[in-house]
Parts: sequence; structure tokens; C-alpha cells
Amino acid sequence: MPETPILKVENLTISFGKNEVIHGISYSLNSNEILGIVGESGSGKSVSSLAILGLLPKKIANINSGSITYNNTDLTTLKPKLFQKIRGNKIAMIFQEPMSSLNPSMTCGKQVQEILLQHTEQSKTDAKEAVILLFEKVKLPNPERVYDAYPHEISGGQKQRVMIAMAIACKPDILIADEPTTALDVTVQKDIISLLKELQAETKMSIIFITHDLALISEIANRVLVMYKGHIVEESLVADIFNNPQNNYTKALINARPSLDTRLKKLPTIQDFLDNDISDDIISHDQRQKNHEKLYGKPPLLEVINVEKAYISKSGLFSQSQSFKAVNDVSFKLYEGETLGLVGESGCGKSTLGNAILQLDKATSGQIIYKGIDITKLSKAETRTLRKDIQIIFQDPYSSLNPRIPVGQAILEPMKVHKLYNSDAERKARVIDILNKVGLSEDYYNRYPHEFSGGQRQRIGIARTIALQPKLIVCDESVSALDISVQAQVLNLLNTLKEDFGFTYIFISHDLAVVKYMSDQLLVMNQGQIEELDDADIIYANPKQEYTKKLIEAIPKGI
Amino acid sequence: MSHKSNSLRGLALQKFKKNFWGVFSFCFIIFVGFIAVFAYIFAPDNTQHANQMHLAIHSKKPGFSIDMLTIPSDRKEEQGGLDAILFGKKNTNTEVPISDFSVEDGVLIYQEYAADGIEGAEKTIELSIFPNQSVEGFIVERTFLFGTDKYGRDLLSRVLVGARISFFIGFVAVFISLLIGLLMGSAAGYFGGKVDAVIMWVINVTWSIPTLLLVIAITLALGKGFWQVFIAVGLTMWVEVARIVRGQIISTKEMQYVTAARALGYTDYRIIVKHILPNIMAPLIVISAANFAAAILIESGLSFLGIGAQPPMASWGAMIKDHYNYIILGKPYLAIIPGLCIMILVMAFMLIGNALRDALDVKN
Repeated sequence: MPETPILKVENLTISFGKNEVIHGISYSLNSNEILGIVGESGSGKSVSSLAILGLLPKKIANINSGSITYNNTDLTTLKPKLFQKIRGNKIAMIFQEPMSSLNPSMTCGKQVQEILLQHTEQSKTDAKEAVILLFEKVKLPNPERVYDAYPHEISGGQKQRVMIAMAIACKPDILIADEPTTALDVTVQKDIISLLKELQAETKMSIIFITHDLALISEIANRVLVMYKGHIVEESLVADIFNNPQNNYTKALINARPSLDTRLKKLPTIQDFLDNDISDDIISHDQRQKNHEKLYGKPPLLEVINVEKAYISKSGLFSQSQSFKAVNDVSFKLYEGETLGLVGESGCGKSTLGNAILQLDKATSGQIIYKGIDITKLSKAETRTLRKDIQIIFQDPYSSLNPRIPVGQAILEPMKVHKLYNSDAERKARVIDILNKVGLSEDYYNRYPHEFSGGQRQRIGIARTIALQPKLIVCDESVSALDISVQAQVLNLLNTLKEDFGFTYIFISHDLAVVKYMSDQLLVMNQGQIEELDDADIIYANPKQEYTKKLIEAIPKGI
Repeated sequence: MSHKSNSLRGLALQKFKKNFWGVFSFCFIIFVGFIAVFAYIFAPDNTQHANQMHLAIHSKKPGFSIDMLTIPSDRKEEQGGLDAILFGKKNTNTEVPISDFSVEDGVLIYQEYAADGIEGAEKTIELSIFPNQSVEGFIVERTFLFGTDKYGRDLLSRVLVGARISFFIGFVAVFISLLIGLLMGSAAGYFGGKVDAVIMWVINVTWSIPTLLLVIAITLALGKGFWQVFIAVGLTMWVEVARIVRGQIISTKEMQYVTAARALGYTDYRIIVKHILPNIMAPLIVISAANFAAAILIESGLSFLGIGAQPPMASWGAMIKDHYNYIILGKPYLAIIPGLCIMILVMAFMLIGNALRDALDVKN
């Protein structure tokens, strides 16, 4: 590989207002290489790459010092007019969210064609041909159809392919991919990654690949930068990072993700690495077996029998209404004290099933029997009493807390509504107790949600959920929005709470690694139906269904 | 637990305090509100509705001065002090503008004022009708700072007392519109489906009725008067509030904390009142400020058309109506002064609405 830097970032410092977010970072990008930048949210990985394209918000962001040199021009001082010639033409970018980065009122073909017309002197017909060639190159099925299709008519993965086509339309020297697969399912992610690799090999461009997922980066990058709080903490070849990480943060990042092979009792967090206090206790196969025998000897806590949920869409006044089955004939049993993992790709009906069990969205047909009572037939008031027993932990820690209620009040309110304990003083003591349990101090009682970080908010959400001492908790993608290190903390917390209070979990996630770590039984869903249901380890070791195999294969394994 | 926390409301208040025009308008509105409540204390003419007429000195320029003879009436009105402060003195005394007077043999001889240099009639009156047998304190020089209206009433007093109507119509109309709008809007937005369809139908029908027509209908049903106008304006304005509340609730309903509240077994009433409404206060406050301004304008318009506050009640709109034909007669101030008052008050509300919108915008 030739070691000629095409882009050089030197001593770059960026601040938002008075708040410095990038502290003098330097790195270079060689031609014909894929550079991975990995870090958690707030590490400055996106900000530094936006700076390369001059796309930082003008009013608040400030480049204090340093330079970004591309082809002997300093991009930090470039005039806006000249920048337009570089953007999209020499340096292109792919964004995270394919749903919102395409204009919904223009056909996909037109949007790509526009770029060609902007940056080259092609005629319209030539440009159209070029676009169709590009679509073939990014392996879109039936390029002619996609050319005339509007963004809502194609799938998420196809949209991301259109975005890539758009980015490589002018044969750029550098392609910046900012979390291009985070919003996509694992199987689609795999396809996109291999596409990017092929394109890179073919066109010899340089790619900066930004992600929070270390395992993913090992599949694509040649060289990796690890960023933490605006610093580059480690930089080396991808194999070295994985086999011989130097920095504690990198070590934590690699180990905080649940491994697919062994099951640690407690996932290590960054703090553990800093304190050098890592326990590698493993739950052995025998321990697990023994535990399961005990669990499955008892009668089931919850029984789901032939549950269906249909959505009816009426497209026109005279056309027949169409029904779509989001959950189709699902049956399973859940035993007290176990964790049932529910895994599947987006749209497979796993959240709908969760909502049906919670009675938030009533099932169309079928029975859900909880402790011998069919809860689909309960009255409104009875359902409200049942809520005390079946609870949910949400995905998004930012929107699951009411921004106008102090957290202490938010945890106290459910107790009050369900008339637990006798007085407010007693309840308050209990709230403080719970706050301590989830690792927050009582000082936080009167604070508002916006004063907390994502991980802390998720803890508050958990505290509110366990305030009612439920029996069954549905965790709907509860850790998906969290950074890996925080995710490890929350998973540990969930396991500790389960031991302390004897909860039963239904753990819903698209992330097979996390589900496998948490679950006793695993339920794989696809298109509203159960594909496979068995012990988590057994499914992972020998998947029986094609779909499950595909799913397991698509997980980025790391090195 | 000594930690003092910054609630979103606290942050918004801090932001509002930094906005000069917002704070200025707020102070101005408090000032006008104060004047409106205590209008009769400040008004030179503190009779009920500032209705002391002196036809001889009608439509005089601002700053016009004249000697004024007060002839006490034999009828004594019984009135409490607080009543007089809040609603003006009930007055049966006669006031006569005079150009000259003399006292001879217990008789007061005075010459009535007449405009345009004409000699006024000479009249006599027994001193015995005055208490203390003396005219001292009953003949004083009176200055009309804003001039006089077409019935010779003090324009300044009328403007001050008229502020009440403008101010209170704002409050009453906004209160009525919030009451109905919140109720209907939350029901439509939260429950959706058939409830939503019915309420939206009512909203659309109400929206299509012109305010004027509604006021006429209500006036027919309830009789003429300013209370009817208050109610009519409130009844037309709730639709905007309801639409905004509905839209906001539909989007807030999707937030996970509302689902969380449902999952925690809260009742619908509790979810709406405690979890949704506090979060949609920002647009509600802003629309209320705009509605306040709109209500003032609508009332002025209705009074101008003669179906608002009825004479002798003072109202800015009615004052413009009374005097708009003086504009071409070279005495535009009679209409301009109340017009300016309306403009400034409405503008203050608009500015406060803008400032609140900026302050309550949590995104920045």
C-alpha cells in the first residue's frame, strides 16, 4: 500500500461556543485506504469529519487552530464558493439516516443525476445513462425502475445504496461514511459493508468510515483511530487494535460488548478497566443447566396462545381494505424468573408482540394468559391494576421521561397512583432506596431529566419501572440507543436487579449478541411469525432455520 | 436534597428576562392593567363611564383650559367609597363652563362659555344652594389634556376608562377560548377516531361562522351589551386553541413518556393533565398572547360597528366610531388617540408573544 497522505489533519481544535469539543487531533488519510474512526457518542468523531467538508454549523462552531490539508489546500480557510467545487466532487459523504437524507419529492434517479449535472459538463441523456450505470455498480436490483422510483418506494438498504451511488457519482478521492449502517438491519449492513469494500478496491478511493461499533470496523478498515472525548487515544492497524490494544479505553470498548462465545457473569465497564478491577467469572454450561431445570419445573407465568395482530389499511373509498398481519399466530410460554430473548429485524413484529403482552395495543385474536387469567378480556379498570405486574423499559432514554417532572416525582407517581405504601414520606424513602439500587444518589431526587446523560436517564427509566415491583418486565430495545460502555453497565444492572427482585424479562432487541448474552430462551421472529424457539446457546450453536443462520452470520465478529 | 434544580420553566424565564422588548412589553401591559383597574382614581373626570358632558366645549384641542362652575344637585347619591373607586362616582351635579362671573347680594352671576367668540348668555343663581354660602371651590380652572370629545367629555378620562374594556375583553375571551379549546382539543387529539371526527366537524363549522354574524346572533339571543361581545369573541376564538392543542397532543402522544404513563396504569385524565398539557404549554401561551391581541382588535371593530359596548360606556373602538368623521374636519386627534392606544396595546401583546415563543423554545 502506498503511504502517501491524501488528507492531513494537523492539531485540529474545534469548539462550540466556549466548550472545546476537539482537542488538537492530528491524523492523516493515505490514498487507497479505509480509515476507521471509532468512538462513542460525544467523542467528536462526527464533528471532526464534518469539519473536513466545512459543514459545521457556522454560528456556534469554531475552528480554533490547526489545519486540514487536502491536495496542498487548507480546507479550514477555504472560501465557500471554492468549497462547493470540492464537496460532492472530490470529497463526498454518506450519512447515517437514509430515510431522511433523500428528498422525498424527487425520484431517486433525478437526485443522483442532479449531482452529475452540477459537477460535470454532461448532457442530460448522458447523465441518465451514467446514473443507471452507477445504480448497477451499487447493485440495485432493476436500476431502470429505481431511477423512476420515489424514495418511499424502495427499502432502507436500497436507499442507502442510492446514497452511495450519489456519493461516488463524481468519482471522489475521499468518501466519508458517517455511521452508514447504524440505522439498518444486520443482514443489510453486511451487504452494504461488502459493497463499500468492493467499490473501494475498484476505484482506489480513500474511505473514512465512522462508527461506534468496533467489531464492524474490523471487517472493513485497514487502520483504526479510537476517539474518546475529543482526543485520539489510539491509532494503529486494525489487527493490532484488536489483538494488542494499548489504551484502557480501547480495551474496555472491545470487551464491553457481550461476547458470542462465553457468557461473563458481569460485563466489564470502562470504570472497571480504569480501576483494573475486571472479573472474568463465567457462567458455565452446567450452572446454566441447573438453573434452567429449576426454572422450567414450575407452571408458566405467562402463556401466549395463537396471538395475532392485524393492521387494516384503507387506501381508498371504494377499494377493498387490506389487512397486514404484524404478528401472525405466535404462541410461547414464559416461566417465572427466566429471560426470554426476542430477536428479529425491523418490521418483524417483535415490538408489536411486546405491546400486545403489555395491553398497550390489543391483540386482534388469540389469548394471553397471565397467572391463569386471560388478560385480553380484562376491563379498562382491571387492565390498569394489571399494569402493576407487567411493566416496560423503553428504548429511547431521551423521550421516555417527561421533561417537566423532576425524576424523584416521576418515580414516586406510579406508587401513588397504585396506592402503594401509606404516606408520601414512606414513598419518598422508597424512591431514594430505588435510586440507590440503580446506582444514582439521592441528590438527584429533585433534578430534571435534561440534566442527565443518556445512561443515567435509562437508569431512571428502570427505577420508575421497578418502583411498582412488577413481576414481568418487557425490555423493548432497552439498550439499543446507548453507547457500548453504557450498554454494558445497564445490562449488568438489569441482571443484578433480576437477582435481587426475581423479575422475569422479555428482552426484545435486534442485536443478537446482546440478546444471547441476556437470555435463557431465545425466540427468533421473522415477518410476524416465530422462526425458531429454543435455548439461546443451542440456537446460536446450531441454528435450524435458514433465516436464523443468515442472521447469525451477519453479525460482525471482530478479530 | 439541597440541590437547586433548573427546571425547563426556570430556564425559559431566564431567557425571557434577557429579551428587552419582551420585558418592556410585559411592564407596559402591567402598567396598562394597573391603569385599567384603577382608572377612576387617575381620571380627571371620575364620574361613572367618565360621562360628564359639557356640550358648550365639545371637540376642543388637547390642552384646552377653561373655568368650570359646578352646580351641586339637591339629590344626594348614596355610594360606598370602594364602589366609587372601582366603578366611578354616580354624579348628579351639573358642570357649566363659564367665561366670567361675579357675586352680588348673595347671587352668583355668570356668563356661560360659548365657542367662536360669541357672547354667552348671562345667568344668575342663588348662593344658598352652595354649601357654606360661597362659590369658593366650585369654580375651578379645568385643563383637558387630550381635549374633549363631541359631547364635551374629557377625552383623557374616556381613554383611561376605555382601557378596561379592551383589557378585560382580552382576559375573558382568552379564558373562554382556553377553557373550551383545551377541553375539545385534548379530547380530539388524545382519543382520536370518532371523537376526533365529531369535534373536528364542530370546529370546522364554528370556524366558518363569521365573528360578526355570531355576535349578532348572540346579541339577538342575549341582548345588546359588552358581556355578549366578550362571550361571542371567546366562542369564536376557541377553535384556534382547539386545533393547536389537538395537533400538539397528537404529536406528544407519540412520545415514549406518554406510553410509559399508560404502561404505568395512569388514568387518561391524569395522563392528559399531568403529562401532556404541561409539555404543550409553550405554543399555548404564544397563541394566547396572539389571541389577546386579536380579541382587542375584534372588540374595537365590533364597537366601531355599533354592536360592541353600548353608550355611555367608554370603549376605544366606540370612541373612534364617534369621531371618525372629525378626521376630515381638522380634528383627527379625537380618533387618532384611541387608535394609537389600540395599536400600542396590541403591539405589546404581539411582542410579548414573540419573546415568549423564543424563550420557550427549548431546542436552542
